[in-house]
Amino acid sequence: MRYYGTLLAGAAVVLSTMAGSAFAEDKAVSMIQCGDAIAETYPDLIKAWEAKNPGFKVNVEIVGWAQCQDKITTLAAAGTPVALAYVGSRTLKQFADSDLIVPIPMTDAEKAAYYPHIVDTVTFKGEAWGIPVAFSTKALFWNKALFEKAGLDPAKPPTTWDELYNDAKTVKDKTGIAGYGLPAKTMDNTMHQFLHFVYTNDGTVIDADGKITLDSPQNLQALEFIKKLVPVSEDGPSAYDQDDMIKLFSDGKVAMIEGGPWVRNQVSKDIQWGVAPLPVGPQAKGAGTLLITDSMAVFKGTGVEDQAVDLAKLLTNPENQFVYEKTHGLTPLRPVAGVETLVSEDPSWKPFLDGIAFGGPEPLFLDYKGFQNALIDMVQSVVTGNAEPAAALTKAAGSIDQYK
Amino acid sequence: MTRSRSATLFALALLLPATIYILVIVAYPLVDTFSLSFTDASLRKTVNWVGWANYQKIFGGDFGTIIVRTFVWTFFSVSIKMIIGTCGAVLLNALVPGRALFRMLTLPPWIIPMAIGIFMWGWMYNGQFGMISGVLQNIGVLDRPLAWLAYGNTAFAATVLTDVWIGVPLVTLYLLAAIQSIPKDLYEAAWTDGAERFYRFRRITLPLIVPALLTMSMISLISTFNSFDIIWILTQGGPNGQTTTMIIDTYRTAIGSYKYGEGAARAVMICIFVSIFCFFYFRVVNKLSAGEAK
Repeated sequence: MRYYGTLLAGAAVVLSTMAGSAFAEDKAVSMIQCGDAIAETYPDLIKAWEAKNPGFKVNVEIVGWAQCQDKITTLAAAGTPVALAYVGSRTLKQFADSDLIVPIPMTDAEKAAYYPHIVDTVTFKGEAWGIPVAFSTKALFWNKALFEKAGLDPAKPPTTWDELYNDAKTVKDKTGIAGYGLPAKTMDNTMHQFLHFVYTNDGTVIDADGKITLDSPQNLQALEFIKKLVPVSEDGPSAYDQDDMIKLFSDGKVAMIEGGPWVRNQVSKDIQWGVAPLPVGPQAKGAGTLLITDSMAVFKGTGVEDQAVDLAKLLTNPENQFVYEKTHGLTPLRPVAGVETLVSEDPSWKPFLDGIAFGGPEPLFLDYKGFQNALIDMVQSVVTGNAEPAAALTKAAGSIDQYK
Repeated sequence: MTRSRSATLFALALLLPATIYILVIVAYPLVDTFSLSFTDASLRKTVNWVGWANYQKIFGGDFGTIIVRTFVWTFFSVSIKMIIGTCGAVLLNALVPGRALFRMLTLPPWIIPMAIGIFMWGWMYNGQFGMISGVLQNIGVLDRPLAWLAYGNTAFAATVLTDVWIGVPLVTLYLLAAIQSIPKDLYEAAWTDGAERFYRFRRITLPLIVPALLTMSMISLISTFNSFDIIWILTQGGPNGQTTTMIIDTYRTAIGSYKYGEGAARAVMICIFVSIFCFFYFRVVNKLSAGEAK
């Protein structure tokens, strides 16, 4: 009898503990951050947010870049969305159209605080669907030692496509090393690389009325120029993505690459490099570059949408965001105090900051993966010699209309 | 209740857990995929019935080319695995010093986690840092770096080679077991009659391992046809779609582009082909079983 009594008492204690913990349990605000580790500043900010919002606990999951977007999307599609997630802004239109995310309330003052065009990258049907969290412009990196070895002026980077090709050819002919790093792997940055050439030749992909403008003389020149670059680039561009380019550049195996400001932190210290605005094409009416943003998106159906918006605004407010940008080598989203000293502290910032004014955005398509795949196939067909630029461009232009 | 009826009920009761398991794990997803293939399911919450539209769409595109490529990929991969596996099994059966060590050395490709093995090959195929291009340049076969995964033909060959590397150990060990089950006195009698080594292989070994060869070929055919990891990790179906097989195309459509309805239609096509292979596999197995029973 005493034995059963002890058992019952024990069971009661266990049950009461479980019930107590259930009642006392905080409501979870789940968050996915893409990458290898949580941003250095986030743990303290999240702790501060939790202290201000008792009853809520932020659970951060880190997911590698390669799987991140698919995981976030699959969770949302399966009806078990994450509350807050880091997404490429190009995905927002599809998420919004599919009723998977909530609009982000933004005051006019909040919108005006960003550089021009930034808010456009997260706006669809007149509403903002994400809070920009990472921004990049692109520039040309060149290896000064390889330029010198090839007999070129190491202080003079190319400013036009013709100069780019001639310099790349000279390096290739004189040193045997690839003059240009052309990424064309089955990755999104192959599309981005093509867009560099589009925006530096006054081209567009889609106009303000949603009309596809891909099949234009400017874009044909861009694709023809990519074809022209193949012999002076690394062997087999379709085997390399942009990350590979940074490694090859760091290893002195290519003389020039195009990339974002983070490349500055990743290039080997042994390389003498310079960075300049992207060279412009024959139709250019001025400088050009590609603007890409990533955003924090708040997913629908978690019951903590308001808290997720609040947390995202804390993480990305002007002060916290600038610290994050400086730590990660990202182009600033807002002209906050401190931006003006970036160039004087580190002149390599200049082409990236100058590019903000004249950059073109990553086009927003409803089926962005369909659009992306069509452009990757187009570039790869030209790079591998399977198609002529004109035919490839016309084919891609015909196919992307269904994705807008 | 008669004794035989009771025994039948008992047998059915024993089968019940497995039946439920198969219904939940295999039958339900199959039926669901089939019904999904007639819808426009995507990220949108509304799902509409579209009839045969998804099937018309896939056959209106380059799906025919992808089917042919899948069969070519499977043919080369399975054939090479079977040839190397058979040669390997015969060699490992030979009475040579260190035979146990050689048998052990066949296992690593099979033991190493597949993704790690594939990444290793990915590095070896790299034109700038890869071993293959480096060695071929050093011995003068190549005059410049060659990125094997950059061109349609070499990328296709590279994916086949990697699949062969991973698949050969299983084939070798399976056929080795089959060879070891051949009675030794047959070889002794042939040797006494003066039969040469190749003659003994052709007239004794090969005919007697035909059942194992057929079974292994069918198993290898089904798994190779559905092979996803190797191509996805090495090329993601590129460059320019030249290593895209049916399973890669299905993944890109359903998971990569969130077109679940269209992806399901592609998955149904794979299912039909694999079902045909399975039909032939069971016919072979049944014939062999009937032969053994005689």
